Amino acid sequence: MAFLNPARPKAERAPAGWEQTRRRAYLAGLLPALVVLGVITLLPGLFLLGVSLTPLSLVNPGTVFDFSDPLGNYRELLRDGRFHNSVLLQLHLSATSVGLQLAVGLGVALLLNVRARFFEAIRAAFLIPMVLPPIVVALIWKILYTPDVSPLHRLLEEAGLPIDSLITDPTLAIWAIAVAETWQWFPFTMLMVLATLQLIPDEPLEAARIDGANRWQVFRHIILAYLRPALVVCGLFRLIDSLKAFPLIYVLTNGGPGTATEVTNYYGFIEAFNFSYWGYASAIAVLMLGGVFAVSWLVGRLGWNEVHHD
Amino acid sequence: MALTHEFSRRRLLAGAAAFGGGLLLPGKAPAYGGAKPFSGVTLNVSTFNAPFARILTKWLPEFEEATGARVVYDTPAFPVYNQRADLELSTGGAAYDVLNITFIYSSRWIGAGWFTPLDDYIRDANRTPADWDVEDFLPGLRAPESDKAGRLYGIPWTVDTFISGASRFDLFKNAGLGLPDTTDELITALKAVHGKEKVAGFVTDNHYGWTFVPFLQAFGGNVFRNPPDDLTPVLDTPEVVAAAEYFARILKEFGPNGVLSYTEDQALQALQNGRANYSAIGQTYLSQVGGPNSRTASTVAYSPVVRGPAGRFPGVATHGLGIPAASKNKDAAWAFIQWALSKKNTRRAIVEERYASPTRRSDFESAEFKRIATVNGYDLSEIIASAVDLAARQGHMKYRTVPVYPQVDQQLNKAIANIVSGQLSPKQAIEQAQAGSITDLRRAGVAI
Repeated sequence: MAFLNPARPKAERAPAGWEQTRRRAYLAGLLPALVVLGVITLLPGLFLLGVSLTPLSLVNPGTVFDFSDPLGNYRELLRDGRFHNSVLLQLHLSATSVGLQLAVGLGVALLLNVRARFFEAIRAAFLIPMVLPPIVVALIWKILYTPDVSPLHRLLEEAGLPIDSLITDPTLAIWAIAVAETWQWFPFTMLMVLATLQLIPDEPLEAARIDGANRWQVFRHIILAYLRPALVVCGLFRLIDSLKAFPLIYVLTNGGPGTATEVTNYYGFIEAFNFSYWGYASAIAVLMLGGVFAVSWLVGRLGWNEVHHD
Repeated sequence: MALTHEFSRRRLLAGAAAFGGGLLLPGKAPAYGGAKPFSGVTLNVSTFNAPFARILTKWLPEFEEATGARVVYDTPAFPVYNQRADLELSTGGAAYDVLNITFIYSSRWIGAGWFTPLDDYIRDANRTPADWDVEDFLPGLRAPESDKAGRLYGIPWTVDTFISGASRFDLFKNAGLGLPDTTDELITALKAVHGKEKVAGFVTDNHYGWTFVPFLQAFGGNVFRNPPDDLTPVLDTPEVVAAAEYFARILKEFGPNGVLSYTEDQALQALQNGRANYSAIGQTYLSQVGGPNSRTASTVAYSPVVRGPAGRFPGVATHGLGIPAASKNKDAAWAFIQWALSKKNTRRAIVEERYASPTRRSDFESAEFKRIATVNGYDLSEIIASAVDLAARQGHMKYRTVPVYPQVDQQLNKAIANIVSGQLSPKQAIEQAQAGSITDLRRAGVAI
């Protein structure tokens, strides 16, 4: 190694060589990950983008390389009322279910943030819905929402409060899905909030109490300030995941009644798998991907995930 | 004839002749003096999960023993099967040697050239014994498995016909009524029995592209102007609006709570448990109301689907076994289809397994089938066979096997759900279905 030999005049250039070697080593170390990323994530993504620029239909597989009207699918989507309706429903479902998950998760975490054996023991039970396969969750709620087999409906009927099926009511069906989605995923928020609650130092809490702050003021100005980044991250994760609320819709409502629960990903699924319009469905998927990127960027840009203390 | 490298024509002919004899003795087929014609061949077979598929799976070792072929038989759920097969066929893949030609995709899959015509195989005495008798399969079931030129691509293995029945016929009798024969009589009957002993008057499953169309046609409407030649949707006619209003009414006024979410299985359960009374639905489901697990087996009654002002239009759906065009084992695949649907095996399925959905006329007319299809004194074999013959004569099922029916099917599902859930009036819903169908069909490249 040249730089170990002080007698050699080129010793001064050694750091540059070392830097080059370091860069090469760094690249060599990174390369496998880059290859995996490229093959597994970027290439299919690029293929999706490419297909979205073609009129590909399974009945006519030859159109996979037909780029004669690359924006045709996107123009069609601008005119497609069913797609517009699906986007509004998606926003409705995402906002409702993520809002509920954050509220319920936060509430339960605050209740469980007590050092008592009983509460520590039941924490694990709250995690069960989150670890169940989505199709199992969907089946559980299908039973609960189906009047002639539902224990919920039977109880209400016994109490003299019979209700109509929630999943066949066009105004309530989307809420019914949001409730099922919340049941499955509020433990995620609960877990994150619980972990953050246990990291809050005692000093600011004690100082606030000494200054005469009441419980609400302590929660509002100190605890919530510490929790905000965790809640934002949870919200973002759940928001992205809410775009994938497919099994619940497939099992509970099939997008109905009518198109009352036909959210964007379900509409894309129908176009691809029922009708074989792969180009069109890919364009829907590309727009959804763009939406997810936009939301992620916006959250980062607004700085909601940074800690601020009042 | 395309031969694989594994065996010569001479060897094939010798094997096939021996195999033809073996077909007559399923379960006892000899090993052809040690010459197993398809030794070393792995046949990949896939159909959706259904009673006949399960029966065949049980009998596979007999075929393997007789031919030397190894069979990998895959039976996913119906929607999964269709998506998988559609993708596989469209890419020209050779992963499967025998596939089910799904009724609603038959035109698309056959029209695109994704299946092998079977006529040469059937005519060739070296490959098919004369008494295998393709003419024995009901013509109404062969038609959807054929192309415009009449070439046959799939051998029917199951049929589902739309029939009617009352699980609590005693309530009809108590009201002094028989089973309704017309759409008007149905309303009268449902008014009389709905809610009696907490039993909902009517139930059917929420695949309205299947369950509504018999009513749509009974009122004089149709789905397309002249399928398969003219696929212009004709849903916005007064007849279709009247039919939609009628059908939505019987669901809304006489259906159980949440009827819009009922699948076929749920409808069947409601009928078997006596929570719902009258239904118009496929025979594969309704026949089970008279089965051993049903609480209403002793009170069930059956009839053909009701007729409307324009007549009677029972839905008939069939599925056939076919050979994908890209299969590399076509001769072995044909041997498998022949074996699966030989006279011996289809009759054996009825006798040993109480298989209730035969496709051969000889099976329909057999004493064995009459015996298992007579439920609570009602002869289902006659109702089913007459529905199949009626469909063949009237040609009213042509709407369903055109390549773009899945799109219109879904528009109809949404239209009925929109009416029943009160989101749209019958006229608005049907107009929306018409407009949506035109958009979908144009996207598919159909000239309208």
